[in-house]
Amino acid sequence: MEKVSLAWRNLWRNRRRTIITLAAISFSIMLVQAFHNLSFGVYESMVDSGVRAGSGHIAIYHTGYLNTRDETLSFPVASLPEVIEQIPGVVQALPRIYLPALAQTSRESRGVVLIGVEPKKERLTNPFLQNLSDQSMIRKSNSRDAIIGQRLLQELQIKPGQKFVVTAQHRDGSLHSELLRVRGIINTGMKDIDSSLILIGSQRAAMLSGHIGNVHELAIVLKSAWLDRQVFPEIAKRLVNHPNVEAVNWEQAMPNLANAIKLDYASQKFIFLIILLIVTIGVINTMLMSVMERMREFGVILALGSTPVKLGGLILLEALILGCIAALLGSFLGCLATWYLATVGIDLETFMPETLEFGGVVFDTVLRANWDIAWMAQIAIYVIGLTVFAALYPAVKAGRISPMEGMRHT
Amino acid sequence: MGQISFMSLIELHNITKIYRVGSQKVVALKNLSLVFERGDFAVLAGPSGSGKTTALNMIGGLDRPTSGQVLVNDLDLGKANLKRLADFRLHNIGFIFQSYNLIPVLTAAENAEFTLMLQKTPRHQRRERVLSLFADLGISGLEDRLPKDLSGGQQQRVAIARAIAANPRVILADEPTANLDSNTAEDLLSLMRQLNNSHGTTFVFSSHDDKVIRRAKRIIRLEDGLMVSDNSQNL
Repeated sequence: MEKVSLAWRNLWRNRRRTIITLAAISFSIMLVQAFHNLSFGVYESMVDSGVRAGSGHIAIYHTGYLNTRDETLSFPVASLPEVIEQIPGVVQALPRIYLPALAQTSRESRGVVLIGVEPKKERLTNPFLQNLSDQSMIRKSNSRDAIIGQRLLQELQIKPGQKFVVTAQHRDGSLHSELLRVRGIINTGMKDIDSSLILIGSQRAAMLSGHIGNVHELAIVLKSAWLDRQVFPEIAKRLVNHPNVEAVNWEQAMPNLANAIKLDYASQKFIFLIILLIVTIGVINTMLMSVMERMREFGVILALGSTPVKLGGLILLEALILGCIAALLGSFLGCLATWYLATVGIDLETFMPETLEFGGVVFDTVLRANWDIAWMAQIAIYVIGLTVFAALYPAVKAGRISPMEGMRHT
Repeated sequence: MGQISFMSLIELHNITKIYRVGSQKVVALKNLSLVFERGDFAVLAGPSGSGKTTALNMIGGLDRPTSGQVLVNDLDLGKANLKRLADFRLHNIGFIFQSYNLIPVLTAAENAEFTLMLQKTPRHQRRERVLSLFADLGISGLEDRLPKDLSGGQQQRVAIARAIAANPRVILADEPTANLDSNTAEDLLSLMRQLNNSHGTTFVFSSHDDKVIRRAKRIIRLEDGLMVSDNSQNL
C-alpha cells in the first residue's frame, strides 16, 4: 500500500506533465472507443439493411446455386419457412425466386432480374417496400402486379399502371412470356439495382419459370445479427432431410458487403494502431523524463538498500496507476461520446445529398453508434497494458544505474 | 539475509580506485589500507579530491575498488553481487549525505521510516521508532512536514533519523555539516557522539573542516588518495 502511495505521489510531482499525458491517453481511448462504436453501429445498420433487402442473416440455397446463379438449381420449399420460423430468434423466412429475364415495352427492352417474392411477408422486412404505399404494393402472389426500379421505369419509357412484357427461360428450356403491370416504383439509390430490378409475386414467377413449389433462396431474418451462430446449427438440423440444400450466413451470401466491412474496419484498425503508437511514445516520453529527473533520488534509494528490481517495480507501478486513471477517464469520455453518437448521431445528409451506398448496400445517412461494452473494456485494459509496457524501458534504465552514478546525477 | 556481526573490523586492504574521466585516468585512492574497530568515531580528513568520499563509498558498498579488497566481517564487498550489496547496505549501513537527500514527496516521518519500510518492518513499529527518534533528535512535531518545509538543520536531523532508524552497525556520513551553520553543525556532532557513546554505533565521516575534525576520536588524513596520518585522540 505504501508503494502505491509513493508511486501516486511521484506521479503528481510534475502535475502539469502528468495531466497532459493523462489527457492524451484518455483522449486517445475516447477516440478509439467512440469511433469503434460508431463503426460497430454503422456496420450493424448496414448489415441490417443488407440482410433485409438482400439474402437475410442466413440463407438457404440449392447446393451450387450461390456460386453459379444457375436458375435451374432451385429446391422444394414446402413447409420449410414455417418450420424455420419456429426456431427461437428467427423473425421471418422469405422464399424467393430469382430469374434473369428480358423486359419489353413497345419502345424499349432491357435485361432485368425478376424476383418472385411473398409480397406481404417481404414488406414486413424489406425497407424499400416499407416505404411504398398500399396502392403501390403487389396485391397477390399470383397477380400480374410488378414493382420496378425507378431507372428501369425511365429506360423502358413506361409509367405506373402501364403494361410491359417479361420473357424468361422456363425450366423445360423453352422461353415463356408474361404480361405485367407497373404497380409500384422502387428507388434503392443503387444504380445497378434501380435499373434492373423487378419484383413480382412468387406464384407468378413460379408459373413463368416452371419452378412450381420451388425457390432459389430462402432468406432468414433474425432478431439480431449476433444470433446467427446460435440459430445456424438449429437450421442445419432441420435441413437434414433436404438433400442438396445448404445454409450459408450473410457473409457468404453477400461477400461484397462482408469484404467491404472487413476492409473498412481493417483501415480503421490501422488508424487505431497509429493512435495507440502515439500514446505509447507519449508514455515513454513522460516516464523517461520522470526517471531522468529523479536519477539522483534513485541513487539515494539504491544506496539505502533498495534493489534495482524494486526500483524498477516502482516505475512500473507509477505507469500502472497512470494507465488505470487514463483508462477510467478515457472510458468515461468514450461512454459520453458513444452516448451522443448513439442518440444524436452524425447526419451526413448536409455533406452528401446523394444516397449512401457501401458494399452494395444503401444505408441511413445518419450514422449512429452502437454500444460494444466488451470491446470498450478490452481497449481500456489494452491501454493499461500498453502504458506499463511503455514504462519498461524507463524502469530498466532506472534499475540499471549504480547508486554512485545516480547520486552524481545533477 | 540477516545482520552481519561487526565483532571485529571493517578492513580495507590496499585499495586503489581509478576513475576514467573521458580519456584520462584519475586515481582517487592509492593503496589505502585501513581497519575500523566497532565503536569507532573516525573522521576521514583532507582537502577536496583527497579521496574521502571514495573511501566512504568503498566501505558502504556503493562503489567497487579497482584493486584491493574491502572486507566487512569477511564479506568481500568487491565480489558481492548487486542484490547482496543492497541487502548488506540495508541491514548494516546508515548513510548521512552532505545534501541530506531526503525524498521530496515523502513527509519527514516517512523519510525516516524509509529503510524500515524496505526491511518490511510493520507500520506501527516503524512509526513508534521514528517518533521516538524525532523526540531524541529534537524535531518532534515535524513528522508530517515535507522536506521543502524544513530548514537545513531539520532536514539533516531527519536524514540522521533515517540513517539510524534501522539500528545499523556503521553510519557513514559524507561531509554531514558542510551545509549547516556552525551552531547547528556543533549540535549535530554532539548528537552523533551521543549515539556513538550510547549505542556503540560506529561512525565514519568525512570532513575538511578543522572544527569538525577536532571532535573525532580518530583522525585519518588523506591527501591525493594516500593516507598521510592515522591518529587517535582522547576527548
